[in-house]
This record gives sequence, C-alpha cells and structure tokens, in this order.
Amino acid sequence: MKEIPTCREVERDLVAVAAGEAGAAASEGVERHVAICRECREELGRYRVLEGMVTDLRRAPMPGADPTLARAELESKLADIRSRLVSYGIFPSPLGRILIARSELGVSMVRYIDSEAAARAHMAHLAGDEDIVEDPAMVEALYRELLDYLEARNTHLRWPLDLRWAGSAFQRRVLEATTQLPYGAVASYGGIAKRIGAPESVRAVAQALRHNPLPIVIPCHRVIGSTGDLTGYAGTRIGLKQQLLTLEGVPVGGHAHRIDRNHMYVLVDPYTEYCVPSCGSISTMPLARLTLFGSRERAEAVGLSPCSSCRPDLHPLSA
Amino acid sequence: MGRDMTGDAFESIVAAHHGEIHRYLVRATLRPGDADDLSQETFVRAYKAYRALPPDANVRAWLFTIATNLSRNHFRAEGRRRRAMAMAAAGATEQGPSWPEGEAIANQASARIDRLVSALPFKQRVAFTMRKVHELDYDSIGQSLECSAESARAHVFQALRKIRQGLDDLDGVHMER
Repeated sequence: MKEIPTCREVERDLVAVAAGEAGAAASEGVERHVAICRECREELGRYRVLEGMVTDLRRAPMPGADPTLARAELESKLADIRSRLVSYGIFPSPLGRILIARSELGVSMVRYIDSEAAARAHMAHLAGDEDIVEDPAMVEALYRELLDYLEARNTHLRWPLDLRWAGSAFQRRVLEATTQLPYGAVASYGGIAKRIGAPESVRAVAQALRHNPLPIVIPCHRVIGSTGDLTGYAGTRIGLKQQLLTLEGVPVGGHAHRIDRNHMYVLVDPYTEYCVPSCGSISTMPLARLTLFGSRERAEAVGLSPCSSCRPDLHPLSA
Repeated sequence: MGRDMTGDAFESIVAAHHGEIHRYLVRATLRPGDADDLSQETFVRAYKAYRALPPDANVRAWLFTIATNLSRNHFRAEGRRRRAMAMAAAGATEQGPSWPEGEAIANQASARIDRLVSALPFKQRVAFTMRKVHELDYDSIGQSLECSAESARAHVFQALRKIRQGLDDLDGVHMER
C-alpha cells in the first residue's frame, strides 16, 4: 500500500487542486491526505472558497476604472499617427525600378530610381512630420495596378492622390490640370498654363511638372513643348516619356523625341468634336489651344464626336 | 507577411481589447489614471508594431505583454513599487488612496480580494490578474513576465497563498466554509 503524503508534501498541491490545475498524481496524493487530515481538508476548502471569490472578480465592477475617456483619446492619437504614416516599397517595372509611397489619404509618391540606397536615404531625409517606413506589402496593390497599366492591361489609375509633397498652390493647380489629360492624348506646357488661367507662366508650368511627385499617375508625360518636342522628363529620362506615350498609342518620331501634330487627331479648346489636323484653320493654331489624340478611339473614349465638316470617321488619318 | 494597415483591422482590435487591457492595467498599476495613460500607450505601440506581427500571432496575449512591460517600466520609473511595498507592509487593511471604493461595495468579497491583490508584489499581482481575471494561459503569462510557464504558475500560486492568508488576517479569524 502506498504511503499517505505528509502535510508538508501536499501543501504546494492544495492550491493546484483547488484551482483545478493539479495533475493526477498530485490530486490523488491530496485526496488521500485530506481524508485523514482535518486541518489540510479545511485548508483545501478555504482555497476552494477563494477560487469562487476570485472568479467573481471577472464580473465585478471596478471602481474608478472607466476606460471611455482613455479610449476616446486613444482613437484621436491613432488617427493622428495614421495621418502621418507613409509606407513605401521599391519594385521592378518595365520602366526600371520604381518607388511607390502611400498614406491613408492616397498615393503620395512615384519615383524612378537608379540606386535603392540613394532612394532610401532620400525617404529618410524627407521624414519630417511624417513617419516614413519601407513596407512593400502596404503598396503592393498599387504596384500590381501600375504594372497592369505599364503592360497595357489597364488605361486608368484611379487612385486617390495625397499631394503632401507637391510644393506650392501653383504647383497643385498645374498637377490637377495635368491629371485631366486623357489617356492617349497630349497637350503643351502652354496649354496647361492656359487651363489654369496663367497663360504667361509656361516656364513655371514646366518647372512645376519637373517636380511632379507622382509621375505616371499625374501624367506629365502627356505634356510637351509648343513645337511638339518631348523636351524633358524626370531628369534625363526622356526615353521613358517616349515609352509611356508609345504605350498609349501616341506616335512619337524615333530619334527626334518629337510629336508630329500632322499625324494626330485634334481637339480645339473648347469644342467637343475632334478633327483631322488639316480641318479649317487648325494647322495655324498654337499648340496651346489644342489637345492631340493618337487615335480616334482615344478621342471617342473621352466622349468626343467626329467633326461634322472634316469627318475623321469617314476620312481617318493614314496610319 | 504584412498586415492590413488601412485602419479597419486595427480599429477592431482596439474595439475588442481596449476595455480589457484597461481593466488589467488598473490592477497592474494600482491607479486608474495610470491605466488611462498606459492603455493608450499600449495600443499606440501595438499599432506601430502591428505590421510586423506574424498573421498567426495571439494578438490578445501580445497586447498583455506590451501592457505588462509598460507597467513594469512605469513602476521602476516612478518608484511606486517601493510605495506599494510600504503600503503592503503597513498592513493590507489600509486602503490605498488611489483605490476609490464606494460604501456599497466596500464589503463585497471582490473588493476585499482586490485590496489584497493590490498589496502583492508586481510579478505576483500581474500573474494573478492575467490568470484569474483574464484567464490567460501560463505560456502567455510567462511571455509577459519573461519567465517560464512554470514560474508564471508559481507566481500565481504564491499570490493565491498570500491572498488566502490576507483574508484570514482581514477577518481576524479563519474563513468558514
């Protein structure tokens, strides 16, 4: 017959048994012991009563402990943190490596990069009030859509924009006017200047677009010089401008980086019909008054109808 | 693997756990005012670290760990531990100034237990609270206290022994069944 454990031996197990956490051996030892020891039996009883009182703690009200105010303050702190959080990722693309950044408001930066280290240093340098973190998962969905766009599976990037890195009110107006340029169309810097009601500020418009924080998304590649020259793009990346325009069906002369308006359908501001370039006095109009389309489909996709006198639908431009 | 940071996912975590973490922190810090501050800090830290949390992580246990670390550091910084110890030494029947209790509930068993819990040393107090009030498993409690599950259990049992002893002292007699 097994020996009955002593008071000292079961002391530790009494709590475990009362809490319902004792193993089989400990339970059995306690059971055998309390059968013969009144004191430990009472002790076990007290622990069981205590367990019941402790269980009540889960339901009992806590005096002075109202989390309502703390919760409200927390919500506002989190909202503040969220508004300052910018996440970015660096991805490969047909145009080279691209950095995409977003906040809760929308996409805040697209940037062509040569060196990842330099790009990260740039982002670290930008962090002022912002909390900027490299977090590709956060921008992955945008990247997928951008790839679809760059591989011609999609013609629109309908993203909410966060223009936190657009400098001045003037630059914002330029960028907003530029977002209105349809897929497959081009206008001139002078045309953008006219649209924002500052027809003299052609150079300032070019400068504002030079610092476009959201190339591709805000299609500054659709803005060209008054002679049809592509002029410049994202520093010295004029080849990318040509690539983007070609993707959209805008014919660009090979080595000249130039668009020939005689090969484009034309919309004259402020009409809603598109023409062939030889229609009426169009050929003598400054490019600032015109929007050029690479194809009839692109013109009609934005709701324009063929001109009733030059009838581009019956007499299309030869390809 | 990243987490959805658009706000909604974390919103639901705040909604599900803030009240509980706040209750826990009232017991861990012994002061409702500190619980207000530290419960906010817990979720601010959680929000910042959330994106790196593995998808299969136990979010609730993780929040308790953050809250426990904050209250431990808070105690060290404030030197309140010593004061709490002094309070315990002066006798658990002393009612802490920051532990408001209405007449109606002063005699309730749970209020008596809470008073005894407040006199426990930090590790025993939070281990007891996590286990007995919030029903966390010992692995999670060990994680919070940076000790093994077995040590966490020992802290809880030690707390139970002291509370039982404390009840005897409060009553002046042994409890009757």
